[in-house]
Amino acid sequence: MSTDETLKELGEAIVHGDKERSSRLVEKALGKVDPLAVIQRGMMPAMEKVGDRFSSGEIFLPEMLMATEAWNEAMRLLKPKLLEAGESVAKIGTVVIGTVQSDVHEIGKNIVVTLLNTAGFEVHDLGVDIPASKFIGKAEEVNADIIAASAIMTTTMTYQRDILDHLIASGLRDKYIVLVGGGVVNQKWADEIGADGYGETAVEGVRLAKELLTRKRGG
Amino acid sequence: MVSFCEILERATRGPIMSSRDFDMKVLIPKARELVEKYKIRYDPETPCPSDDDLADRIYQAALDLYADTGTYVIDTERVIQFSRREIEEAVYEAPREAYFGEGPDRCVFRGRKPDDSEIPHCHVGSGTDTTEGVALKMVEAYGRISKAKTVSIPSVTAFGHLKSAAGSPVETLAGISMMRIGREGLRRAGRPGMGIINHMSSCAQGISTIAASNPEFGARPSDGWLVAPQAELKIDYSSLNQVAYLSSWGANIGQEAGPIMGGYAGGPEGTAVVTTAYCFHGILVARATYHLTYPVHITHVASTTPEMLYVVSTSGQAVSRNVGVPYYALGYAAAGSATKQYFYEAAAYLLAIQSSGMGIEDVHPNKAVVTNGALPIDSEFTCSLGHGMAGITRKEANQIIKRLMESYFDGIKSPPMGRTLNECYDIRTMRPDEELRRTYDEAVRELGKLGIRFK
Repeated sequence: MSTDETLKELGEAIVHGDKERSSRLVEKALGKVDPLAVIQRGMMPAMEKVGDRFSSGEIFLPEMLMATEAWNEAMRLLKPKLLEAGESVAKIGTVVIGTVQSDVHEIGKNIVVTLLNTAGFEVHDLGVDIPASKFIGKAEEVNADIIAASAIMTTTMTYQRDILDHLIASGLRDKYIVLVGGGVVNQKWADEIGADGYGETAVEGVRLAKELLTRKRGG
Repeated sequence: MVSFCEILERATRGPIMSSRDFDMKVLIPKARELVEKYKIRYDPETPCPSDDDLADRIYQAALDLYADTGTYVIDTERVIQFSRREIEEAVYEAPREAYFGEGPDRCVFRGRKPDDSEIPHCHVGSGTDTTEGVALKMVEAYGRISKAKTVSIPSVTAFGHLKSAAGSPVETLAGISMMRIGREGLRRAGRPGMGIINHMSSCAQGISTIAASNPEFGARPSDGWLVAPQAELKIDYSSLNQVAYLSSWGANIGQEAGPIMGGYAGGPEGTAVVTTAYCFHGILVARATYHLTYPVHITHVASTTPEMLYVVSTSGQAVSRNVGVPYYALGYAAAGSATKQYFYEAAAYLLAIQSSGMGIEDVHPNKAVVTNGALPIDSEFTCSLGHGMAGITRKEANQIIKRLMESYFDGIKSPPMGRTLNECYDIRTMRPDEELRRTYDEAVRELGKLGIRFK
């Protein structure tokens, strides 16, 4: 099997969420190309395909999560090799994400996490029921570019405003791009609380993250 | 039936599992396996199927699923498990009717069957965010709709100038305030005994609903009190506390669930199975006397697309044919109020659930995200269609729905925003303006040409 064929098969294994097959193919590919090429030529196009299929409604969350698990398993094998080779995967930016305080809904947020990872962001997922100060503490710790907050209920969306208030109070407002999303959130609310952007869908959220980051960097 | 104390025991003694493992290792693979095993298929040409065998296969798949998954308890990270026999016993004993309200306004909500000739239970109102200044008028307007049997009071997320936040004291005050407003609104409408069956959509946390349920504020056990799970088939102690309190009070408990199509349950087939399985969770864990479902699409939320109609219709049929508990559904239209598209979307959804054996509730405009976006005329539409179309079969409904979808399907992605209550009603008299009346009349006339009758 040629290198291209091995990488193509690896991509297919990831798209189908086949952890064992993708691990085997990573081992096989490493005998032919460097770890960075395995990721860039084999795995990243596959995850892009997964993201596209999800956006178009061809596949659903279970298929996307299984693909992510296969990706994670492959990365577990590749990370030590990347370190040995002194290489790293270029990242677009760093995002701290979570569901706001008193809200334990996670599905939408998890989809955004997966799509952000796929798009090349370094993502720090804080989980659910996260107070404003924790978002900011983590963002400071990892030197994030973006803080993304999900809220699914009318009674929890107000905690998105809290994040903005905390940022202003600590003099950090201009340091971060703040994105909001969730079932009850809309553009009007995002404008009212002074968020930088609102994504109606996970795909739109990721597109916005890229666009705002490029703009902030003067692109 | 397994007792509630036994449920609580299992919540603290059941198998330990991480939430992620519950999703990834139990729910997802099992739902996928059962869709294949029972050959459950979705056909976009048939959003409202009239295939009894399909409905029964979905029911059997849901039974198998719940016997495998049980309900996950977020706080204890344990699973409340049931044997298939325990689930079947609970189904056998589940109440087939629920009584709401008091005095002359008292009503009974019974389980129906697909293609049933009985008029469906007509529930009106919505939990859409509403400003405090118009909430009382809204409830009064809902109460004046004589065909409406029960009412939802609006969600008010402010108390005076204070913005409500989940778990905060303001939420408790907002909840109490809405309970008072709800009862006063119905009193003004001349229907003081009418059952309020949305528990308190202003309250996200158990503590707030429990506070607002004090009879001093107008609450009654003959109202309906919804208890929500987390997607999918998970519950937390806040909700279990509600059940503990409400069942001790002798109140009507409603099992509500909003399964996510495209989420952990997978596509339309898996979501139909999970939606049906919530009924077992409701009977056993939530101790429900009535059930509400509102499946939502993971991306566009709206519930009027063919796959969403399939989910609600087939799961409704599965429950109504095999369980027969009081069961109703609410849908989310993409279009805003006071638009023709809203009435078309609402008609499609209402026909799907009514013919499938369910009770009906107003379809929420604008996916329920616009403040003051729900109108009393939406409720008039719901009740009028529900009465006019009594006896519609699934086959007839499917034909009409397909024609309705031709006119609104393209508009789902960029729906018209419509107008809010303040923009199209005289708030003093709560009468719609000329333009809205004209839009409504035109929509009713056009829908009539498709075979939809209004009474």
